Amino acid sequence: MRCYGMIIDIDKCTGCYNCFLACRDEHYGNDFPPIALAQPFQGHFWMQMNERERGIYPKVKVSFIPKPCMHCDDPPCAQASLSGAVYKRPDGIVIIDPEKSRGQKEILSSCPHRVIFWNEEKNIPQKCTLCAHLLDQGWGEPRCVEVCPTGALLFGDLNDPKSQISRIWNSKQVEVLHPEFELKPRVKYMGLPKRFIAGTVIFKDKDECAKEVKVTLTGRGKKQTLRTNNFGDFEFEGLEEGKEFTVKIEHSGYTPQSIKVQTKQDVYLGEILLKRSSKR
Amino acid sequence: MNKDQEGEKIVRTTVWSPGAGCHGGCGVKLHVKNGRLVKVEGDENHPWNQGRLCPRVLALTQYVYHPDRLLYPMKRAGERGEGKWTRISWDEAFDTIEKKLKEIRDQFGAESVLFCQGTGRDIGGPISFLAYAYGSPNWVQLGLAGQSCYTPRLAAMFATQGDYAVLDAGQFYEKRYDAPEWTPPKCIIVWANNPVPTCPDAFHGHWVVECMKRGAKVITVDTRTTWMASRSEIHLQIRPGTDGALALAMAHVIINEKLYDKEFVENWTFGFDELKERVQEYTPERVSAITWAPKEKIINAARLYAKSKPASIHWGLPVDQCPEGTTVAQAIAHLWCLTGNLDIPGGEVIARPAFGVTTYPFSSHELTALYGEEFVKKLTGKRIGAKVYPMVANFRGWAQPDMAVDQILTGDPYPIKAAWIQTTNILGGQAADTRKHYEALKKLDFNVVVDTFHNPTSMAVADIVLPAATFPEKESFRSWWAPLSVVVPAIKVGECKSDWEINLELARRFNPGAIRYKSVKELINDRLKPAGVTFDELAAEGSWMMPPEGHSSKPYRRYEKGLLRADGKPGFNTPTGKVEFWSKKYEEWDLDPLPYYDEPPESEVRTPELLKEYPLVMATGRRSSVYFHSEHRMIPWMREIDPDPIVEINTKTAADLGIGDGEWVYVENRRGRIKRKAKVTPTIHPKVVMVPHGWWYPETDGREPNLFGIWDINCNQLIPTGTQSRSGFGGGAYKTTLCRVRKLEKER
Ligand code: SF4
Ligand code: SF4
Repeated sequence: MRCYGMIIDIDKCTGCYNCFLACRDEHYGNDFPPIALAQPFQGHFWMQMNERERGIYPKVKVSFIPKPCMHCDDPPCAQASLSGAVYKRPDGIVIIDPEKSRGQKEILSSCPHRVIFWNEEKNIPQKCTLCAHLLDQGWGEPRCVEVCPTGALLFGDLNDPKSQISRIWNSKQVEVLHPEFELKPRVKYMGLPKRFIAGTVIFKDKDECAKEVKVTLTGRGKKQTLRTNNFGDFEFEGLEEGKEFTVKIEHSGYTPQSIKVQTKQDVYLGEILLKRSSKR
Repeated sequence: MNKDQEGEKIVRTTVWSPGAGCHGGCGVKLHVKNGRLVKVEGDENHPWNQGRLCPRVLALTQYVYHPDRLLYPMKRAGERGEGKWTRISWDEAFDTIEKKLKEIRDQFGAESVLFCQGTGRDIGGPISFLAYAYGSPNWVQLGLAGQSCYTPRLAAMFATQGDYAVLDAGQFYEKRYDAPEWTPPKCIIVWANNPVPTCPDAFHGHWVVECMKRGAKVITVDTRTTWMASRSEIHLQIRPGTDGALALAMAHVIINEKLYDKEFVENWTFGFDELKERVQEYTPERVSAITWAPKEKIINAARLYAKSKPASIHWGLPVDQCPEGTTVAQAIAHLWCLTGNLDIPGGEVIARPAFGVTTYPFSSHELTALYGEEFVKKLTGKRIGAKVYPMVANFRGWAQPDMAVDQILTGDPYPIKAAWIQTTNILGGQAADTRKHYEALKKLDFNVVVDTFHNPTSMAVADIVLPAATFPEKESFRSWWAPLSVVVPAIKVGECKSDWEINLELARRFNPGAIRYKSVKELINDRLKPAGVTFDELAAEGSWMMPPEGHSSKPYRRYEKGLLRADGKPGFNTPTGKVEFWSKKYEEWDLDPLPYYDEPPESEVRTPELLKEYPLVMATGRRSSVYFHSEHRMIPWMREIDPDPIVEINTKTAADLGIGDGEWVYVENRRGRIKRKAKVTPTIHPKVVMVPHGWWYPETDGREPNLFGIWDINCNQLIPTGTQSRSGFGGGAYKTTLCRVRKLEKER
């Protein structure tokens, strides 16, 4: 038995929208009973695209986060549905039965990922099927994966130990979009944007970028140290959201500086002026 | 090739313009069922894109079968702008056009008709062919101020290197990234371009991504933080229009720190000492003040680029739109020559049309063979701008657009009476000073528009409208640069004809003696002769073919092998046989032979008073992956992704102005104002706003005075004409005018 999974690599996604469109192209105007009925002409985003812009000028990062149904192993949508209208197939795909789900609009709000859409005309909830109709015909991947020009979407059989996806499925770099929901999704991610703390250090006396200056970050029981680059820039990436950190900047001959930071948002501290220490 | 499966056949072809809109090149598989296009997939066997595609082609069926598509020829029934049309036959259309244009030719001379095209797509061939057959020297990208799109860069490369060069992503090899001859660049400067959604100038954006996957470090020069910029080692977020200063400062670092390729400079270049002297005034300190980029970043970018070998530069159209675009392009091109990256694997590869096939006779040599020497001389003599600008007279045969529109209005030195407008929505698209072009075109006696949809231009000024075929409907061919490919017809829609078909028919009527082709295919086969292949053979081969090893259109190091010059000697195709840092051609064309920097016509440096009133730099033209210039606004799935004409404004700037995300604002300057929806974002420089171009509302009334809403939203109304470079090419101020933004209360 196959067991499907997908890993979306955010570092590779350029936000081209091909995946969204291929999904539309596949499902608009085409019924695939009993898996799904046709998507409406507009308004449904079975593969959503979210643009994330982080930071402030001049320290800004851009990422795109494609988001299909996560095909959770503990799907609340299935629990919320009546008469088994939403069910999980043995291969892991979560399907909304287009017949049984008729009229069950409540299913939409049961999904914390917000990936179910209401089809007004047909009176049914709809979402990504991982193109189960194609997989059942022997396709190796859904349409979105097929058209992704950068290889940002990795799809495969988790039961096949040799598949590329199963080799990395449980590795540290692979993460879940919303771990707090605890839904064991079959769609995971790599390179999801977190929070960064960055800044630019300047030697005040020389009015010059401060290279090779030691910067230490403490917080969440951890300590990280790095050195500023040629532009006096430093950056700590992949930090937890909404936490307290302390940035300490030290260089011999200069007065050390300590700055307390909150990662509610990404933080660019701007130019930090290091002053000559008085004793010298 | 064509496999039948439930009455469905698959046609492999190459994309070139109508439908996709772009500069083309991708291989696709067209799924055709019962004569109808049902699906498009990327062709994994085509070396250009290796199966990759873009949203516009994925939604191609919506373009091809759009209910608003022009399906048959029409003539105007009411006044211009009333939107009343009568269907006519092709015969009537051709007869009317022939009669009208022959009358004008007899009375005013062939030069009184302008042959107008948009950006360089599958049109240069058909339209120049028609213009020359008619006898007019005035083939023009009317509206494109300073002809500021690729022509300046091409001219600079031609003048200093004798050839054109592009980032080498293995595109001349079938096996691409696996070709043993190729190595990936270690460093890429993405200079003023957002390659992924763009696919500019015969370049597929994803090639850069593929090089990144293979280790290329990226330096981005861009006033916006694009996806690519935020993945770069160094991002130089410069003031629009100052690219020339940046290039000269980088040359300063590379020369003064002796990071240049001594062997290459010594043996293969001319004028190094003069260049060295010239760059001394462009210190990183001074240029930092000009460009807003930190000095250290300029120095480090120059070092990273020069110390990585091979390294490559991928540049975009903002280079052309800098003041003195031709000299800015020269300065940037000098960087890859200083570092010896020209025509080496993973560097800047010399790009020649595959097999030497050109889609149209555009060299004076070929034209002379066709029409005789006297005709060609006369043509050049009458071309608009040729007397003022030697480059206009001697490079490529374009008339100068800013002068062309003025000449329509003044009739000086000779009257302009008609316009043939093909593949260009002048008023909704490229025209700077839209109103001036509107008035000029209205003044003409006779206008023909050939397009796929009605648009503001056809509505406002057309007397006859002809329906053009999209790429799945047409026979064509392409050699920009490699592979050599053909566009294979798979379907038929309405009575649409391809630009080639239309123009061949009229060319025959205008000049029966010179035009001997009986069909488009015959014409194509004739042009394909240097490759020893026919249209049908190429179509049967999956639509493409790469030039063989040893051919002058195949890399690398052709300057060592004597493959570039007509005399067969090693060296470059320039007067000195070397890369000319000090350009003899520029000197001959009355231009400074060395690169220099010039300020934009409106700027914090040149017009500080104006800055007080208009404190923001207005850059236009950022690309969207769902649109191509002014196209595709009527394609539902594209519009849904990018629904509104926006203005990108920095988070802090917007806060200072009290503007919230999604609010409607005025963008205004001395020339007028437009409405836009604010997109508040940290990605744009705080002193710059980005206003996407090409906006009109196809869903609104196309008749006068609305004209699909252009007077409300078209940003080119705020751009002046007449800012062209001293060469005549470059300098359209599309990215450098000053403006202000203010909140629009209540309305809309
Ligand atoms: S993501 Fe939402 S719709 Fe998909 S399985 Fe999980 S809960 Fe259900
Ligand atoms: S197709 Fe791939 S690169 Fe394009 S948006 Fe989707 S995931 Fe990103």
